[in-house]
Amino acid sequence: MKSDQIRISGGVPGKDSGRLPVPGNVPGKDSGQARVSGETLKKWKKWLRVYEIILFAFVLVVNLAPFLWGLLTSLKPVREVLSYPPKLFGSQVSGEHYAEVFKGTFFTGFLNSLLYSGIAIVVGLLLAVMAAYAMSRFRFHGKKMFFILILSGIPLSIGSAAMVVPNYTFFSSLGMTNQWYTLPIIYIAYNLPMAIWVIMGGLESVPVEIDEAAKIDGAGNWRILFGIVVPLSLPSMASAALYIFLGAWNEYVVSSVLVSSASLYPIQVSIYNYMGFYGIQWGPLCAAATAAVIPTLVVFAILGRMLISGLTAGAVKD
Amino acid sequence: MKKSDKMFPYLLLAPSALVILFVLIAPLGYSVYCSLYQCTYMRFTKFVGLDNFIKVLTNSDYLKAFGRTFYISAVSLVIALVLAVMFALWINKYSGIVAYAIQLLVLIPWVTSQVVGTLLWKWIFSEDLGVLNYLVKQVGLAPLKVLSDPKTAVGVLIFVMTWRIIGYAMVQILAGLKSIPKSVEEAAIIDGAGKWQLLRFVRLPMIKTPLLISTIILTLSNINNLTVPLSLTGGGPGTATNVITISVYRLGFENYQFGTSSALSIVLFVVTLALSIGYVKAVKYEV
Repeated sequence: MKSDQIRISGGVPGKDSGRLPVPGNVPGKDSGQARVSGETLKKWKKWLRVYEIILFAFVLVVNLAPFLWGLLTSLKPVREVLSYPPKLFGSQVSGEHYAEVFKGTFFTGFLNSLLYSGIAIVVGLLLAVMAAYAMSRFRFHGKKMFFILILSGIPLSIGSAAMVVPNYTFFSSLGMTNQWYTLPIIYIAYNLPMAIWVIMGGLESVPVEIDEAAKIDGAGNWRILFGIVVPLSLPSMASAALYIFLGAWNEYVVSSVLVSSASLYPIQVSIYNYMGFYGIQWGPLCAAATAAVIPTLVVFAILGRMLISGLTAGAVKD
Repeated sequence: MKKSDKMFPYLLLAPSALVILFVLIAPLGYSVYCSLYQCTYMRFTKFVGLDNFIKVLTNSDYLKAFGRTFYISAVSLVIALVLAVMFALWINKYSGIVAYAIQLLVLIPWVTSQVVGTLLWKWIFSEDLGVLNYLVKQVGLAPLKVLSDPKTAVGVLIFVMTWRIIGYAMVQILAGLKSIPKSVEEAAIIDGAGKWQLLRFVRLPMIKTPLLISTIILTLSNINNLTVPLSLTGGGPGTATNVITISVYRLGFENYQFGTSSALSIVLFVVTLALSIGYVKAVKYEV
């Protein structure tokens, strides 16, 4: 299949040769190619292919460089991390760094973040599906205002630095910092606008006739929502869950100022803490970083298609 | 319609509205209040009116930090958009699993943690033990002081920020390119459009919305980025990479000046809000 596509792509230079078609010729995709002899074309295709593979390898390396180097570092024996010159691979594969971070505060952070993300996903989805259902099925006063609130909340939650001080001062004036529920509330709120937006998109493909039929059969409003609509919009809810998970799992700055007990630290703060006062502990840091990225990559690999369609919703409309 | 039916949508929206009100809107209101007071360690000592705003907006350090922020964000955005358009045009001719795999790959920096990505880059760039300097030495050049030289530190910050956002822009632009009807492109080719004409007059106009959305979201994300500069350089060396978010952070959580840091946050928020409004206007939707 792959070679097929590359063969097709080989035709592109002809198509895009930039020459205007000669009058009288039938201008088509191959009008430019006709002048190139078969031999040259073959060579050209070969070079194009090599060039594309090199480009692809380059993109691969640059995109993954920090993660790959982090992984290699994390698997080296302790004394080899700080040895110079750095070896690409350690003399042996060693789990020392992983053993260390999973005995230490990192493991607490890992478990905390699992719990925080879990709460955020469950509560966030419940709130989002209710709000999305209201927005997509009912007409009511203030609908447009709420819609704009949701939409403008999406970019707001992407960049949260403007919210760090407001969230901190407000929460601490209420005595709500450094509690077990502090971070779940933050994560739910930050990711709710995107979750509502994604589920609203999913509800568009659930026919309204189904709701109406159920209504005629005498089902109540809540029953229609949770008994009929929710099971039919599971794909968009999975996509929303993915956004909430990524948001909750990856958030660092607000989390780092809102909780101060080590027992409440989320995963990102516990990774950051390997940048200690006495210098950076690169070995454990790389192990912690790798362990933190793996769940993200697993979820992303499974639900990636949904993430991409959620990301581009609004940019393109069929 | 029964009365309970009329209330139903409000009932559905109430929990979400309350959460958003409580975590996103009320804190901003509270910050406006804080910004009118002299406030150290969360103790409000004196009402000062707009003094905090005047203080931060006339302080050349903060103005410079704003300038730095816009410069770094803009350079990173332009590089990201140009490369993203090039990548997207390249990937556009593939379809199916190959195109999907490439999209997943370039999105990895966007979906993974910024702390992890940045700290691991820092490890690569580390001056005495980093793999970059090792490679540089192997080629026979003098080792680079990438993070301790003010000029290169800015470059590295721009690099890491661009690395993070490029996939987002590419995926948006690719979705735009895929949505161009084949017949339109074919018609242009039949009419004699060359490669550049096709790009200039057909493709670029058709991907205007994804380009605009990427510009807004990524500008906003860059301007508001605290995690990357904080973990990469901490604003240094000197003030070379001291962007505005670093100032807000230090003012609040190192000097405990919550009056002035609230004022500065509000200024940053106004910029953010302006971009958010742009986003609301750019997105295609129907209510």
